[in-house]
Amino acid sequence: MPVFKTRPSGLKIIIVGAGKVGATLTGQLSLEGHDVTIVDKDPSKVNDITSMYDVMGCIGNGASYHTLSEAGVEEADILIAVTESDELNLLCCTIARQFSGCSAISRLRNPDYSKESKYLREKLGLSMIINPDLEAARVMSRVLYMPTALEVRSFAHGQALIVKIKIPEGNILDEMTIADLGAKITNNILICGVERDGDVVIPKGSFELKSGDIITVVATSKEQSNFLKSIGVATNQIKNVIIVGGGRSAYYLSDILIKKGMSVKIIEQDRKRCEKLNELLPKAVIINGDGTNTELLQDEGIENADAFIPLTGIDEQNAMLALHAKKISQAKLITKINRTGFIDIINSLDLGSVFYPMFITSDMILAYARAKTAAPGSNIETVYHLFDSRAESITFNVTDDSKVTDIPLKDLKIKKNTLISYIGHNGEGIIPTGSDVISKGDTVMVVTMNSGFDDIGDILE
Amino acid sequence: MNLSVVRFILFQVMRIEGILMLLPCAVSLIYGDSEGLWYFIVAAFLITAGFIGCRFRPKNQNINVKEGYASTGLSWIVMSLFGCLPLYLSHEIPSFTDAVFETVSGFTTTGASILSEVESLSHTALFWRSFTHWIGGMGVLVFLLALIPMSGGSNINLMKAESPGPSVGKLVPKIRSTAMILYIIYLAMTVIETIFLLFGGLSVFDSLCLAFGTAGTGGFAVRNDSFMSYSLYIRWVVGVFMLLFGINFNAYYYIIMKQFKKAVSLEEVKTFLAIVAVSIAVIFAKILPLYENAITALTDAFFQAASVVSTTGYGSADFDAWPTTAKFVMCFLMFMGACAGSTGGGVKVSRLMILWKSFVREVQSYVHPKIVKGVKMDGKIIDNDVLRSTHVFLAAYAVVFILSMFIVSFDNLDMTTTFTSVLATFNNIGPGLSRVGATCNYGFLSALSKWTLIFDMLAGRLELFPMLLLFSPSLYKR
Repeated sequence: MPVFKTRPSGLKIIIVGAGKVGATLTGQLSLEGHDVTIVDKDPSKVNDITSMYDVMGCIGNGASYHTLSEAGVEEADILIAVTESDELNLLCCTIARQFSGCSAISRLRNPDYSKESKYLREKLGLSMIINPDLEAARVMSRVLYMPTALEVRSFAHGQALIVKIKIPEGNILDEMTIADLGAKITNNILICGVERDGDVVIPKGSFELKSGDIITVVATSKEQSNFLKSIGVATNQIKNVIIVGGGRSAYYLSDILIKKGMSVKIIEQDRKRCEKLNELLPKAVIINGDGTNTELLQDEGIENADAFIPLTGIDEQNAMLALHAKKISQAKLITKINRTGFIDIINSLDLGSVFYPMFITSDMILAYARAKTAAPGSNIETVYHLFDSRAESITFNVTDDSKVTDIPLKDLKIKKNTLISYIGHNGEGIIPTGSDVISKGDTVMVVTMNSGFDDIGDILE
Repeated sequence: MNLSVVRFILFQVMRIEGILMLLPCAVSLIYGDSEGLWYFIVAAFLITAGFIGCRFRPKNQNINVKEGYASTGLSWIVMSLFGCLPLYLSHEIPSFTDAVFETVSGFTTTGASILSEVESLSHTALFWRSFTHWIGGMGVLVFLLALIPMSGGSNINLMKAESPGPSVGKLVPKIRSTAMILYIIYLAMTVIETIFLLFGGLSVFDSLCLAFGTAGTGGFAVRNDSFMSYSLYIRWVVGVFMLLFGINFNAYYYIIMKQFKKAVSLEEVKTFLAIVAVSIAVIFAKILPLYENAITALTDAFFQAASVVSTTGYGSADFDAWPTTAKFVMCFLMFMGACAGSTGGGVKVSRLMILWKSFVREVQSYVHPKIVKGVKMDGKIIDNDVLRSTHVFLAAYAVVFILSMFIVSFDNLDMTTTFTSVLATFNNIGPGLSRVGATCNYGFLSALSKWTLIFDMLAGRLELFPMLLLFSPSLYKR
């Protein structure tokens, strides 16, 4: 019924599974103006979500055709299966694909399947398979390559990095303005966001940095390490890592790190899981013991570890372990937090790099949804939430001429709190200045505090 | 409570009421009624106040259950108080209490009047009376939701508080689209009815007013004798439309979406139509001896049954003169009311079905003490919360009913009048029996009784809790 379409740009999205990721996605997608229907077999979860967000609820088994058709699968554009069970997710997507032309996105966590994810995706006709633990492991491993950083994200096919660092006491950046930084240190980086006392700003030239600020720096991979060296915060490479908890993300992370030549020690309580890990990761040292026991940690050499990563399933335990390690060692800390309700408190604790696996999953799906809404000619490559979703970095592939192309940036009327941070032109990355232009074929990265950009043209007033 | 968001909603409602009041202003220009001036003044005031008030958007636009209920209750009070002003100021209804009664009766789609004769009213006043039915039928907050994009997703609490029925669901994911769909169906059906009435030889003005009254299931007529002087054709058209507006609007949505199977299989609608059919048969059998002509008898039986069950209250016959069995059936239909999700009032068919089914389950549990049996509707088990709130609703309904009857009893009227005056206002029907019957009016009641019935009408339209909540002291605590 075209008559009833209020906002034609909104996609019809069905989300199966009202867990943490399901709820976060529902909230974000509905705020971006999509028609979201949430499906779960637990009525109370569905009721909680529908009373919080402007979405429709549907109670039932998401893998049954009956429930899916009630949720409107025939007209849906995207189906996202994020239930607890991998098998259910796959079944859900397969059934949806049989009855409609929607794109199906499935979450798949079991390592048994993850090796086959490409095959599964092609054979089952899915658009995307997301393995949150693997993605989280990738993000964590990037921070370990660049241990000074609190967070490292790559974009433009890995050519450029967004790096988040905290300015240490007495650093040369202390009391330096952004303009001075360009004149005195380097012109090849861009500070696209600063968090101070809990507030986030996109800084102008006159903005003065202070020690204790958390800054987000955009540059090509090479320039990033040069920059860190020149401000004197680069540290040694990480050689040995201790991981507490031998879950799925620990496995994926160890796998990546071992391939990069680091030595990994995993402390896991469950004997059987230890044996399994030993089988999967022959090069890792697997310790069967209670990782929250401080004496055991001491015996295993926490004081000399380059990096310490608590990956237990319990947020409180992870936080306590990180605080403990901070006190007795110089190790780089990475803390995994699942629940998002206490972001403020977690931030005030100084736990090193903090990761929310849930945001990693939802970022990927949001990027997909935006790319699907986008006008032809500007494809979204990635969407990252910076500073706990208060700012977004969006990478567009500009494939067509539009209002923003071939005009010097200083002549474009760009929205407030929006910054063009990077232009990839013919395989070469530049940090743009006012005289640069965006041309057809470029990769453009924009940092903004607005939400819901799905087209490069959205940056204009 | 988040008072600023409640204030914001109240100003929005004022603004919308002001804009809607421009319609009777237009009517006054067409007919040259001098009373129209007052409509202009009140409308101008509402629009100005509304626009100024809406400029200050509250920071926190979250509407929780209590804000939803409180702003719904207060919106309807504010709307009624401003809506009665033109009638009162133009001296067409000289008493303030009477003007409030008439307006509340309009907005709540009751159709109970304090006027002994309406033909002497100006066209503008007649139009406004009928138009209030149309506004109140689907609800002004639903209208607000359809028009104004509000941030945050918690607006469902506004819709829940205003829409009738034990549980309110959306048709489509966005509440704004849901509200729009409902209003489009509502508007389309009103237009179709108006066209049918025009074919019956009525004037444009009469057709519109009657269609408004039917659509909102209100019941204000434009002639003193309500429907007694209209042709059989008009009676059948209006009768059929009264029933149609008493059906759950979800059914129409399914029909538009070409999901005929779903539309036909709605349990509540089937039960509603079955009960109406049986009632018509019983009434017809009982009143046949009073009529010379079987067709007129059938028409009256059909029209009156449709009129009270949809809680409209148009009268084509003086059913006070009917045999007791027929009157009893009418009283039962008044009590039951229409379907949930329609524009009608009453306890609602689905609530009675839930009560009946849980009653059957209870009886069975005496025979098989360990039986496991859920109460089902449309093949789905009903949530225990909905079950509980349905039972609580009925208990609260009984309490309010009894207290209201007690207060009205101070007027020292006969028992039938006391009982049916509360029944007919609380369920938003209009005419009751005996001294408040189809040919009478509510004008003779004392002011105390009128204010009680005003409360009953609002409580009945909003399904009790938005009004009852306003009396809860804890609501106003921070």
